[in-house]
Amino acid sequence: MSATALVNELYLSEVLDRTVINDQGHEVGRLWDMIMIPGEVFPEVSHLLVKDRKQLYSIPWQGITLFTPFVISASAPLGEIIKGKYTPSEADILVKRDILDKQIVDVDGAKVVRVNDLKLGNRKDLLCIFTVDIGFRGLLRRLGHERLWEQAARLLRKEIRHQEISWEYVQPLETNASRLTLTMARDQMADMHPADIASIISQLSHTHIQTVLTSLDTETAGEAIHELEPELRSRVMSQLDSEQASDILEEMAPDEAADVLGDLPEEKAKELLELMDEEEAEDIQELLEHEEDSAGGLMNSEYIAIGEALTVDEALAEIRRLAPETETVYYAYVIDREERLQGVVSLKELLLNEGNMPIAEIMTTNLKTVDVEATPEDILEIVAKYNLVAVPVLDEEEKMAGIVTVDDILELFLPFALRRRRYHH
Amino acid sequence: MFTGISIFRLFKPIRKVNLRNILMFMAILGPGIITANVDNDAGGITTYSLAGAHYGYSLLWLMLPTTVALVVIQEMCARMGAVTGKGLSDLIRESFGVKVTFYVMIALFLTNMGNSVSEFAGIAASLEIFGISKYLSVPVSALLVWLLIVKGSYKVVEKVFLVACMVYIAYPIAAFMATPHWNTILTATITPSFKADSGYLITMIGVVGTTIAPWMQFYQQSAVVEKGITIDQYSFSRLDVVVGCIMAIVVAFFIVVACAATIFSQGLQIETAADAALALKPLVGKHASALFAFGLFNASLFAACILPLSTAYYICEGMGWESGIDKDFRRAPQFFWLFTVIIISSALIILFPNAPLITIMFVSQVVNGAVLPFVLVFMLFLINDRRLMGPYTNGPTFNIVAWLTVIIMIVLTAIMTIDMMVPGIFGRMFGS
Repeated sequence: MSATALVNELYLSEVLDRTVINDQGHEVGRLWDMIMIPGEVFPEVSHLLVKDRKQLYSIPWQGITLFTPFVISASAPLGEIIKGKYTPSEADILVKRDILDKQIVDVDGAKVVRVNDLKLGNRKDLLCIFTVDIGFRGLLRRLGHERLWEQAARLLRKEIRHQEISWEYVQPLETNASRLTLTMARDQMADMHPADIASIISQLSHTHIQTVLTSLDTETAGEAIHELEPELRSRVMSQLDSEQASDILEEMAPDEAADVLGDLPEEKAKELLELMDEEEAEDIQELLEHEEDSAGGLMNSEYIAIGEALTVDEALAEIRRLAPETETVYYAYVIDREERLQGVVSLKELLLNEGNMPIAEIMTTNLKTVDVEATPEDILEIVAKYNLVAVPVLDEEEKMAGIVTVDDILELFLPFALRRRRYHH
Repeated sequence: MFTGISIFRLFKPIRKVNLRNILMFMAILGPGIITANVDNDAGGITTYSLAGAHYGYSLLWLMLPTTVALVVIQEMCARMGAVTGKGLSDLIRESFGVKVTFYVMIALFLTNMGNSVSEFAGIAASLEIFGISKYLSVPVSALLVWLLIVKGSYKVVEKVFLVACMVYIAYPIAAFMATPHWNTILTATITPSFKADSGYLITMIGVVGTTIAPWMQFYQQSAVVEKGITIDQYSFSRLDVVVGCIMAIVVAFFIVVACAATIFSQGLQIETAADAALALKPLVGKHASALFAFGLFNASLFAACILPLSTAYYICEGMGWESGIDKDFRRAPQFFWLFTVIIISSALIILFPNAPLITIMFVSQVVNGAVLPFVLVFMLFLINDRRLMGPYTNGPTFNIVAWLTVIIMIVLTAIMTIDMMVPGIFGRMFGS
């Protein structure tokens, strides 16, 4: 293959619409677009698309001898490579059509931005996409005003900032760029905090929301959905495919799933519950029956329950077994056969005691509890007064029904302004 | 395949009237009705009042074809919003690139700036009727509007606006109080008439231009997106658009009737909507006059809230800048500066002593009319793009109506521009 004379780095806007010539210096057409394929590190350009009058041709990258903002030339005579007529195909990813001007997720900055320009560069004689320009400078360059503004800025002794993000931190949102999504930044999105994913989701159109959610594993998707504002949350849930929605609900903690279901129209909620695993659906159903603003509505029915007869070692083993399914593992509640609460041991107490010590000897009895009807204010008072991470909730028969954690309460009492900030509008 | 206007399709959702469908409609209700009502803003009320006061019932026939064009255009926006989930400036940016978007946004900024100026002019004029000086009313309203945007949430604002829409009932009441001859009105509505007089022509363009304004398409589409309406619920959304457009035209109709039945038949000369309100006093009583003025105030304030905010949204959306009233000047500087600049400068222009308010309002309507064809052409390309709209592209009927509107608007605007440069040329040409 010919060694391509390629300027080290250049912007897409500098070469688009440039005249492409052949070895004899005859005009072949104008650079119309480029076909992009997933590369080793960065996506590579496989073909240039050249438009001559109304006809589109594709020239493989290997056929290009010069690629600069001033000249683009193709090696082969017109008859051979160049006459590869191009018919647009949905499977191809075209750089200008599918990436330029589109919205992308900037995974690093956890926000949605627009592609103003793309920086291309030479990597092992291949043309790759290095960075995405999302800044003001990119806008000016596209508008053809970059020079002018630079001079103006120099007069004011200011600098127009470069704002570019490496392709590694970019995730295209368009579905027709899905093949890229597979190889590129998808894993990074799953590593983000659900609250960040939620803030990205709230900036997207409904079709993109589905694309993003389907690209995540159900657990991450569930956490992100729970972080959304109630209104958007029920909108997203209604728009998801019912199978998918119920899978996501199964992965959520029962109290969070109940929160989400509580916002949905009754029919939809019923439908989703029926699709779910029976046991989990029952848990959620129970939670749904309580008033939203009471201990029953706030509580989580998953907690660590252990028997009185255990030793510290056995209790720790039990916690290890139950923990993956449980959100709050800080307390282990000691329960008798009738599910009545006998006492509680904290993880700290378990760690500090000898392994053969019976639980009954170290547990705290006479513990603070609330009943299912308790108001958020009652719970807040107890949690704050006794410095608890979670408080057990007892039902009408004095049986243990669940726990309310401090973060559930905190969320309720967050100042109004702080909560509203999370609204998209 | 979407097959265009058909009464059955439009009213399909109400063929099955049951609780579920009614609730569904109530939930979707909003974007269409609000858009169409904001349309009856200060500029709109002024134009309709003048149309009635100067030309009596003779312009009423224009209302029917305008309604059809308005419904078709707004429906296209709502459909694009529901199918793509994106706003109009989003789509323009993604399909036509940044250069086109940039110039469209500049044009939109200028027209909406002009519209905002006329909203503050409306506030000033209507409150002066109640004896409040513009040096008090305009700064206070500007501050109120700004605070509402910065401190209020969009959900609250939308609810306030739905209530504000009710105030438009003032105009039909004023019209009925004028006890007009309904037979004459009916005849005038269904018989097209034409006068070869440049003032008539300009008023005609004004009526069409103020009824179908460029910002409305942007607003309608983002409101649909904002509500999260998808194509499944779309039939309700379409009904919302139709109901809203009809409401808007009905209000316009009654403004024309109220002014025609009183001011025109008495042969009085007026220049503004506030003049119209004042002129009603001796003719139909002070209540009608107060109602008319209150309607104008409500409409102006309503639009003064929506226009600057929505303009900032579209521009940021198109240019890819951060937006959202939950952010602040540091996180979304362009967004916050845009609406702040629009509000402050519009208010300042009004406070300028002897500001040529009528010229400002009038020119803003002309610019509206001049920008509209461009927006419509972009919309037509977008909505017929199969990659974007899939099976929901336009049918032939919609395309014909929309292209006709584009052509008529271009011709009318061209005529008006020529007429402004060479006053009276058309009057002479038609020999009147």
